[in-house]
Amino acid sequence: MDSVNRFGPELILLAMAAVIILADIGWALAGTGAERMRRPALGALALTGTAASIIWSALLIAFDEQGEAFSGMIRVDDFALFFNFLFAGTAAIVILASIDFLRRNRFVAEYYALILASTAGMMLLASTIDLIAIFVALELTGISLYILVAFMKDGRSSEAGLKYLLLGAISSAVALYGMAYLFGITGSTSLDEIGLVVSEANGETRSALVLAMVFLIAGFGFKMAIVPFQMWVPDVYEGAPTPVTAFLSVGSKAAGFAVVMRIFLTALGDGSISSDWATVFAILAAISMSLGNITALVQGNIKRMLGYSSIAQAGTFLIGLAVVAAADPQLLLGTSAVLFFLGTYAFTNLGAFIAVIAISSKIGSDQIADYAGVAKRSPLLALGLTICLLSLTGIPPTAGFIAKVYVFNAAVQADLVWLAIVGVLNSVVAAYYYLRVVLNMYTAEPASEESIQPGYYLGLAMVVAVVGLLVIGIFPSPLLEASEAAARVFG
Amino acid sequence: MLSDWGHVGFLLLLALVFPVGGIASSWMLGLLKIRPQAPDPIKEDIFECGVETEGTAWVQFNFRYYYYALLFVIFDVEAVFLYPWAVSLDEASVTGFIAVVTFIVILTIGLAYAWRKKALEWL
Amino acid sequence: MEDTGSIVAFWLLAALTLGSALAVVLIRDLIRAVVLLITSFLGVAGLYITLSADFVAVVQVLIYVGAISVLMLFAIMLTPRAGRNNAETFFRIPGILLAGLMAFTISLVSLDTDWAVVERGGFEETASAIGEALLDKYVLPFELAAVLLLVAMLGAILLVHPEGTDEE
Repeated sequence: MDSVNRFGPELILLAMAAVIILADIGWALAGTGAERMRRPALGALALTGTAASIIWSALLIAFDEQGEAFSGMIRVDDFALFFNFLFAGTAAIVILASIDFLRRNRFVAEYYALILASTAGMMLLASTIDLIAIFVALELTGISLYILVAFMKDGRSSEAGLKYLLLGAISSAVALYGMAYLFGITGSTSLDEIGLVVSEANGETRSALVLAMVFLIAGFGFKMAIVPFQMWVPDVYEGAPTPVTAFLSVGSKAAGFAVVMRIFLTALGDGSISSDWATVFAILAAISMSLGNITALVQGNIKRMLGYSSIAQAGTFLIGLAVVAAADPQLLLGTSAVLFFLGTYAFTNLGAFIAVIAISSKIGSDQIADYAGVAKRSPLLALGLTICLLSLTGIPPTAGFIAKVYVFNAAVQADLVWLAIVGVLNSVVAAYYYLRVVLNMYTAEPASEESIQPGYYLGLAMVVAVVGLLVIGIFPSPLLEASEAAARVFG
Repeated sequence: MLSDWGHVGFLLLLALVFPVGGIASSWMLGLLKIRPQAPDPIKEDIFECGVETEGTAWVQFNFRYYYYALLFVIFDVEAVFLYPWAVSLDEASVTGFIAVVTFIVILTIGLAYAWRKKALEWL
Repeated sequence: MEDTGSIVAFWLLAALTLGSALAVVLIRDLIRAVVLLITSFLGVAGLYITLSADFVAVVQVLIYVGAISVLMLFAIMLTPRAGRNNAETFFRIPGILLAGLMAFTISLVSLDTDWAVVERGGFEETASAIGEALLDKYVLPFELAAVLLLVAMLGAILLVHPEGTDEE
């Protein structure tokens, strides 16, 4: 029963997804009388599921119920629990932000069930320590997201879904090929044993390991959305329903980083190979930041702009991974920098996308030019979006500032000064396009005087995100301690 | 076991030789002018039980075929997963039984959903 | 891979698999490509047998040769006539070069590496061993596979469903 208990946070999400599907079938049988209550009830069920998952994770900490489960398939430790909170919280905010947009949609139950299933997959990606389970979790996350991207079933959404599916399937296959190499070299699928065999081999199997590493980076780079595996980002972000875009940009990306940290720090953590991947990550970080920011400069569509900005942000996270292996004492600093940054980024990007959902659904456009004078039409929304964009830029007192300082500091301490300089220069470039949106909202004349009023749920989601990022910005120590505790797992 | 699979391989080879040999020998005989060559539009035409062909075979099919193919794949995979359990039933424990029941229940939800969405009906 | 029969079988099957896979890429007609893909799948099933993985081989035939190819044929038949030929692309030459480079690197590394080789298991039936492993050590991936199938079914029905997304 220990296994099931430790699997609880994921299990409750999957069970709730099943309940939602069955409840929807039940509603169809009950006839039209109860139809009015269907949507609110299903939304409430989904939110209850995420809340129960968070509570279960908290109880696991409270009762110190940590350790392995299912004969070494998953390991519930501080690292996994950190991501449990991150993913369940993200899912809850995304569900809140989706209620309004689902008001006229036929497939409400499916939407919630897929979000929950995908969240469970992401949690598993952070806690699995066996290649077979990792791959199944990867596919569970991926397939749910392919469907969600194509959810609107119109031309744009279908095209985005198809692109995401094709590239996603190829990248999964590449990652699987990398895993097959790891298995071939070491004869085991358990990450711990792979790590052991790799360090005992003293670099004898190095060429095959490097190839496996390249395949794994290519496969998971798609999930993390880093250059050069970022081609899908702008089209998919633009075509997907905006709440799904928010989920993709936060959840899917964080899941990619979680699984990469698990695999690379456990299985490929040996000094003979870790310096190789640290170099690769350092180079990819510099390219991702530069290319993402420069392309974001010329975007007219705010969803595309946020897409490119998320590529640049992923590049900044990668600095942390590059730091990890630069020197052994830095192990903790690099990992915890990535974790802390992921935590702040979740609030920031969710907030930005929620503001976009609220504003765009009212003005009927995603163009930055049409955001002119939004501040006059809805002062609070404009303020919220401004705070999020300031946090993405990295300006105090927001969470983004602390996260950037943390990562750049880690880079300097690991003698990667050039990377820190590239990062700072990129922040300057990024400030230009983030603040352009802010300026446009506050100084330009609005096209109409009609006020923009977001729904209650959307407003609540926005408040949670903005308050979260301000609180972290002013009192960073709880999140800092949590990410350090999670990083200690690999210490 | 090895020799059993060897028989299968031999049969496979035979099955390959049969059609390939037929086509190749026909082509060779034609090349050597032993086989007569008298092309005729009716001979070149697609043969379907003596009925004259009409139109083209490239018509768009009803999308419901896709539902069937899809559900077939999914339940095919389910059957494949259940087979090893059935074979090892002697050694399987109660937990194994619970695992299999869970597996089937999860897929039954999918079946109920398909039924509700009328994916099982031919409208 | 010690006896002659296995070696001959391996090379024949490898030729069958790779030859038909190459034809799938090069041929223009989609239906023919799918049929050749089936031969490639059959070749892979044969290779599994030479590796003493009889259950996996049967699964390969059942799922890939049987079900997946039917699905692909239906998908082709469902699409309107215009798209039934593979179009030419200008990525042809770079694609070939890149594939060649990949093949070269992979063969080089594969020959160079000291793989964790397992002794040949002999040709015994493997299904019951797989069953025990699935229900004991790998029970979590086993159940997750069911969830994965459920999600796939949900998505496929949702996306193919003829009624629109909005309701009045």
